[in-house]
Amino acid sequence: MSKKIIEVKNLKKNYGSFNAVKNVNFDVFEGNVFGFLGPNGAGKSTTIRILLSLISPSGGNVKLFGKDITTNRDFILSKIGCIVEKPDFYKYLSAEKNIELFARISGVKVDKSRIHEMLEFVGLRGREKDKLAGFSHGMKQRLGFAQTLIHDPELIILDEPTTGLDPQGIIDIRNLILQLKNERNKTVLLSSHILSEIELIADRMVIINKGETIAEGNVQDLLNAQELIVAYTVDDINKAKQILEQNEIPNFTCLNNEILLHTSQLQSAEINKLFCSNEINVFSMETKRKLEDYFLKLVNH
Amino acid sequence: MMHKSATVCRLSPKKITLVFFLFLFAKAHSQIVNGNQIIYRVYAQLQKAKDYKVDATIKVDLPFIRILPINAKIFVKQPNKFKVESKSIAIVPRQGFDQLNKILSDTNEVTVIVQVTELVNKVDAQIISLIPLQDTGDLILAKLWIDVKQNLVLKSVLTTKLNGTILTEYSYGTFANYGLPDAMIFTVDIKKFKIPKAIAADINSNATKKVDKDLKNKKGKIIITLSNYLINKGISETVFIK
Amino acid sequence: MFFKSTYNELIKIIAKPRSYLGLAAITLIVGLILLAMKLDGGMYISLLTSPFEESLTFEGNLLNGNLVGFIILQMLIIHVPLLIAFVTGDLVSGEAAMGTIRMLLTKPVSRTKILLSKYLAGCIYTFFVLVWLAFMAIIMGKWLFGIGDLMVLKSDGLVVLQQEDVAWRFFFGFAIAFLSMVMIATLSLTFSCFSENSIGPIVSTMGIIILFTIIGTIEVPLFDTIRPYLFTTHMAAWRFMFDKPLLLNELWFSLTVLLAHIFVLLGIALYKFQRKDILS
Repeated sequence: MSKKIIEVKNLKKNYGSFNAVKNVNFDVFEGNVFGFLGPNGAGKSTTIRILLSLISPSGGNVKLFGKDITTNRDFILSKIGCIVEKPDFYKYLSAEKNIELFARISGVKVDKSRIHEMLEFVGLRGREKDKLAGFSHGMKQRLGFAQTLIHDPELIILDEPTTGLDPQGIIDIRNLILQLKNERNKTVLLSSHILSEIELIADRMVIINKGETIAEGNVQDLLNAQELIVAYTVDDINKAKQILEQNEIPNFTCLNNEILLHTSQLQSAEINKLFCSNEINVFSMETKRKLEDYFLKLVNH
Repeated sequence: MMHKSATVCRLSPKKITLVFFLFLFAKAHSQIVNGNQIIYRVYAQLQKAKDYKVDATIKVDLPFIRILPINAKIFVKQPNKFKVESKSIAIVPRQGFDQLNKILSDTNEVTVIVQVTELVNKVDAQIISLIPLQDTGDLILAKLWIDVKQNLVLKSVLTTKLNGTILTEYSYGTFANYGLPDAMIFTVDIKKFKIPKAIAADINSNATKKVDKDLKNKKGKIIITLSNYLINKGISETVFIK
Repeated sequence: MFFKSTYNELIKIIAKPRSYLGLAAITLIVGLILLAMKLDGGMYISLLTSPFEESLTFEGNLLNGNLVGFIILQMLIIHVPLLIAFVTGDLVSGEAAMGTIRMLLTKPVSRTKILLSKYLAGCIYTFFVLVWLAFMAIIMGKWLFGIGDLMVLKSDGLVVLQQEDVAWRFFFGFAIAFLSMVMIATLSLTFSCFSENSIGPIVSTMGIIILFTIIGTIEVPLFDTIRPYLFTTHMAAWRFMFDKPLLLNELWFSLTVLLAHIFVLLGIALYKFQRKDILS
């Protein structure tokens, strides 16, 4: 079993009478990509800021690399690279100067060649000397990545990293995260609203709502234990409806020539057999919006 | 037989009165003549030095002014050119060196009154007052203590409309025969010194200020010591251009 | 890491356009004063000597570089504090407004070191502002007006300092002025720790200076007790260097009050900054 990089237990944060975080618990293991989900106002940003010592907790325990964040701040932060919300830089300095500034206080010796290499890595080659005031949002996101990785941290915390990126950019970030995990054994905590991204790349995840943990665990395990939505594209939708009704299978809706069924993975195969045995041709069988539905179901419960 | 002396002793009261007033008139007239003569002799002595340059040390001893003694050069050229040249800031009395010369230059403008004599530094000095005939000028009264034997002004009190009253004491040495002093002590009335707070540099200061209640009644002194006179060597007019 | 952080802060100050605004403003204001003195300096001299002119006359180079330099130093009362606060008041709140405070405080440098490095950089900036002011006031003043004795009119009289006696007074005067301006920098930095925008600390700093200056000027018994402990009363402590004899007791008291303010305000700033939740 991998060692725990992040341990959060009974985390609380109050602002007067308002409880931003009531009871958040999760663990992040070394080498994992960890998804951090929750609706707006759930306490995700507050939790991330507590992990990074930007906010002090009102209660609970937060350990990173086995050490308490409140008493080992400098040690812990030397091993972390992060983007919190949108990356902000000094507008009056160039891209190169910005990276140099943050690198200088990141605890490692960084030279200009490394900075240029990192800027090229994030696709900002040739823009080193340009002032940040002229950068688009996407370029700033890329620069944020450069800043995050310049000192080769063990833990990378990313808060909405693909916001403002074009589709190619989103793919690039996804590939980068996988590369960091698979090739460099980095641990990544990824907070995102793009659920498909989490589903595709996260190993484990936690979902919080109203300041509390409502689900935590391996992504596939969580999703497999739940109902699926399966869409069957059939040639005779009326006959398919009849068959389902006759077999007392209630949870379905029809859309054009698609039948959408709430079912488990096992049952979906049985239904496929049922259609085929009743001479209904099944052209395709597709699992739709698993995580999104799971997420919505949990948070609206 | 009647004696002639008996006839002389019997002058009438009218004649005695006449003689008495004649005597008084003669005395007064002789005084006026004497006063003018004294002034003239003093002035004539001063005129011997057509121009001169002298080294001066100016020490200011005034309650409201804090300044170290400074060295300066003083240039004077008859009839009325005067210049103080110094690397440092020199503070001199407004009625300075040349005021006396101006006053003594024309006795037709003043009434000369010879008063009593007084001892000044163990020297018998004749007190002479000069009152301007016209009141349009700046001078109100000049009172001089003059050593008649040496034709030197030992002390002067000048009162002017613009500059108030200033007492000057002179002491002489090597250049007494030119009427040029070795030292001059000016005593200045400081009652009228008023510091405008608005431009004082220590606004908002926490420093305690010693208030001398008797200050208003005090006087201050400026002591000018003169040495190394260079007399009648010629001084260019350009020296006096500001 | 502290010096690396300080170096970073200096780079930021040097790169910010507002840092040059202060230097440009000093150049302009001093330039105007020099021009005004060149054209009409005689009038100022008359003001200085008018209390005594009935009986005395002043000879010599009265309007000289030393006097002009001294006059320009009066800018240290309002103008220079504003220019200092303009930069130092932005050191923390400006980063909060820009969002870079988030990035900065996720680095492995303690908050204490970050704040102290900002403070040190602010003090270095203050130093250079004063050096520039000294150059403009004294060097340019002497170049335009020549050298001479310095006349200082105080509420209890006129002090004339000989030119040989003035240079060291200016040196120590500027050193004390530096302490006064560090006090201003500390005040504005403290306000900066409580604010999320740049304007607030600057306006607050100037507001406090103006309010305390007014309290210090009004002759009311209620204010007499607190006046000696207001920092504005001692901001002009550099003037003590231009007195004869030197009022050493008063000077030491002023320095003590300024230092006490600096330490207390810095303590408050550190306390706040260490505990501040970064929500921006």
